[in-house]
Amino acid sequence: MNDLLLDVRDVSKTFVRGGLFSREEIVAVNKVSLQLAAGRPEILAIIGESGSGKTTLARMILNMVTPTSGRLLLDGTDLAAISGSAGRIAFMHKVQPIFQNPFESFNPLKRVERYLLMTRRRFAAAAGGSTAATAVDAALHKVGLSLKEVGGRYPHELSGGQLQRVAIARALLAEPKLIVADEPVSMIDASLRISIVNLFRTLRDELGISIIYITHDLATAYYISDRILIMQKGSVVESGDARAVLTAPRHPCTRQLREAALLPQIAGGGANASGTTQVI
Amino acid sequence: MHASVEQPHGEQDVQPLLVVRDLQAYYRTSHAGVRRAIRAVDGVSFAVRRGEIYGLAGESSSGKTTLIKSIAGAIKPPLEIVGGSMEFAFLPGYGGLHRAPPAQVERIRWRHLSYIMQGSMNVLNPVRRIRCSFTDFAYPHIGGSRQQFEQQVVAHLSRVRLDPSVLSAFPHELSGGMRQRAALALATICRPGFIIADEPTTALDVVVQKEVLGMIRGIQRETGSSVLFVTHDMGVHAHITDRLAIMYAGRLVEEAATAEIFRNPLHPYTQNLIASLPRIGEDAPRAGLGGAPPNLADPPSGCRFHPRCPLAREICSREVPVMREAGAGHRVACFAVNGDDGA
Amino acid sequence: MVVFLRDLLRYRAEFRIGLVLVAVVLLLSVLASFSPYPPDSVYVVPPDLPPSLTYWFGTTSRGQDVFWQLSFAIRNTLLFGGTVALVSRLVALAVGLVSGYKGGWIDRALMSVNDTFIVIPLLPVLVLFYFVMRDRISWLMLALIMACFGWAYDARLIRSVVMSLRQREFTQTSLFSGMSTRQVLTDEHLPYVVPILFSTTMNNMVWSIGLEVTLAVLGFTDINIPTIGGMIYWANQHTAMVAGIWWWIAFPTIAVIMAFIGLFLLAVSVNAHIDPRSRLWNVGEAS
Ligand SMILES: Nc1ncnc2c1ncn2[C@@H]1O[C@H](COP(=O)(O)OP(=O)(O)O)[C@@H](O)[C@H]1O
Ligand code: SF4
Ligand SMILES: [Mg+2]
Repeated sequence: MNDLLLDVRDVSKTFVRGGLFSREEIVAVNKVSLQLAAGRPEILAIIGESGSGKTTLARMILNMVTPTSGRLLLDGTDLAAISGSAGRIAFMHKVQPIFQNPFESFNPLKRVERYLLMTRRRFAAAAGGSTAATAVDAALHKVGLSLKEVGGRYPHELSGGQLQRVAIARALLAEPKLIVADEPVSMIDASLRISIVNLFRTLRDELGISIIYITHDLATAYYISDRILIMQKGSVVESGDARAVLTAPRHPCTRQLREAALLPQIAGGGANASGTTQVI
Repeated sequence: MHASVEQPHGEQDVQPLLVVRDLQAYYRTSHAGVRRAIRAVDGVSFAVRRGEIYGLAGESSSGKTTLIKSIAGAIKPPLEIVGGSMEFAFLPGYGGLHRAPPAQVERIRWRHLSYIMQGSMNVLNPVRRIRCSFTDFAYPHIGGSRQQFEQQVVAHLSRVRLDPSVLSAFPHELSGGMRQRAALALATICRPGFIIADEPTTALDVVVQKEVLGMIRGIQRETGSSVLFVTHDMGVHAHITDRLAIMYAGRLVEEAATAEIFRNPLHPYTQNLIASLPRIGEDAPRAGLGGAPPNLADPPSGCRFHPRCPLAREICSREVPVMREAGAGHRVACFAVNGDDGA
Repeated sequence: MVVFLRDLLRYRAEFRIGLVLVAVVLLLSVLASFSPYPPDSVYVVPPDLPPSLTYWFGTTSRGQDVFWQLSFAIRNTLLFGGTVALVSRLVALAVGLVSGYKGGWIDRALMSVNDTFIVIPLLPVLVLFYFVMRDRISWLMLALIMACFGWAYDARLIRSVVMSLRQREFTQTSLFSGMSTRQVLTDEHLPYVVPILFSTTMNNMVWSIGLEVTLAVLGFTDINIPTIGGMIYWANQHTAMVAGIWWWIAFPTIAVIMAFIGLFLLAVSVNAHIDPRSRLWNVGEAS
């Protein structure tokens, strides 16, 4: 039973909008299934336009949203059966989130190390015996920071790239098996983006953590992920090996995404070359 | 200390539309009695020619928005223009919108100079219908009868593929893409000579983004306007801009034709930036840049990139490199490229 | 909080003016402790004297010194307003936090109670109480009744703030750091609610004091405890305006208007300051 780390079976989520008379049903996620094997860490990219249901799916995996139908099993435990604070802690011990906006991930009024220490304290039962501060420092070192750089600082005193690393370090302190990262680099500058993406690879290879990487950036998905899932209007339209899907897309939606992606390269004789001012 | 600004391009006989000279714009704040100056724009010079899309790239907090605010004359405390000038061809003699008389600026806005901003909510009044935004901004400049004006607006909306019915909608009733297209229509209806665009497509979906960029390009070609296009997304720059300037920590470090920047980046920061971009079909691992972006309240001495620069030499922490022509139309501010006498 | 108050002092002229007005009124009420006469004794000074050096604000037809009477009155009135504000704030805070955070049926249940209190008109209820209880309606009871009616609107406000805080990513970070609901509410969300509490306290006091004055002037309260409304009630009973004893009415009126304007300015400036749009304007926008 436990050979699957994550087993998402036919989950759907329908939101109802509007009042009594003008009820409008929005199918955010429509019968999606996906599996992650236990003991074989991988990076799974979920790609789609905004509104295609990526975030809703992520929130269901994180047990922040309950599905309208279908089941989610994490390590054999049905998420619907989780109750009580002990159950919640045990769940969060296995899955941790990383959010899109690093500046929103921490309360702007509080120092960031507060969340690191809290995570360590709450999930310490399973962790070793070292003191909280050294454990936090060790986690920060894994992401290329140190407690000296981060300690005592408020979110606005750190750069977006640094904050996103702190967010990853915080997730690591819970020693999860799965990290769900919803657009983790879309608000990070190009020059820092690649180092965060590289960090995910290190987590997979060295710490054996599986990562669900949600994005609309095809280039980083290609660069980092093992497997890819393309979503459109709540459904999975194409999935498979990342390189295969992106180099030879089959579904029209994937092809459209592939074409719309503005890649940082100059297509010979493209829009630019014909500009009036190409005086060289 | 700063060399006089040579015209960055030789062969053009027409005067550029905008010439920015050695601009310095600081945020002066006083915090618990301690005065600080955040040097968000510190000695920036460039020129935007007629009929081109001039791109400005740089990470967040590198001063892009501050530069744009200064050029647009949107200067309010704590932002201050400390030095330099910004000369528009259609507003000669003042050295910047902020120094021109308000009545004159009023006449120029929308007619000669307009904006497309991130999120577009800034331009479209959130509590008024789209139609009102058009009458408020554009009608005074276009004139004629109301009916003619409305016809003109509808015709212009069709250019950005919007139905006339959006005129009676409130901004929040439209999708992000429609809103951005409405803002684009508003910014271009008076056929302004100069359009400032600050991250106009950053909030949009990839598919919609490509569409909106295509429209900006189309309208720009049609009207022959110049566009100052700011975004941190190098993919967007590759797609739409003619020339590209790279900004780092409040200064320009490199400027060239966009294709040239991508093919032959010279400044170490630009080289790293271009090399770090993943591309579909290329599997080689890429390394990011070490270190963190500098604090502009206390920027590094000399070349602001020197703490992170793999090529840094002794002079780099002492002196500020100036922009020098390193190839035709290709300017770089770096001692390693220009030689040590580059100061 | 300290930074918050300092920014307010620095950037908002309304806040400074409001603070001065409220301080003057507070000072007057503190002086009550030094009064040479007990508040309820009458004919301790010669009646109907106009303001002079001995009797700064003149004397009443009942032989009381207007100045000292006024300081008792303003103290009781502020105390009344403060009690109403305190009790109703506690209720509003509890309901707003729980309702906004928990959502679901808890929210619906609490909000239907809330809406009931919003729609019941207060004045008829108070008059009804008065006719049923007559003289047994005490100062404290009146304050509690009014507190019952003073929390509903602000609970909704707090609820909406907490609802939006709940959507923000840092709330999820807190939860995934293992914090309990109580910790999230008190440590993470409360700091955002405190400025609202502060500004609604001022508004609530203006409201309750206004209502108390109205009731007292009409004679619907315990007229033996000196309040601003009570003073005006007695002045009307002695037809002070007709008799030319203007100071008996003028000074309490001025005092209560000062309190109103002061509290109002404080509320307005705090409100303007916590409005994210105007805060961006002042403190500088994030890039
Ligand atoms: N209103 C302000 N007050 C003080 N500092 C500011 C303000 N706005 C921006 N800054 C600072 O100025 C610098 C440049 O910011 P900005 O021009 O917004 O950069 P960009 O648009 O490239 O992200 C940053 O360090 C930023 O923190
Ligand atoms: S001037 Fe020096 S420090 Fe700056 S980029 Fe060039 S080599 Fe590097
Ligand atoms: Mg910006």
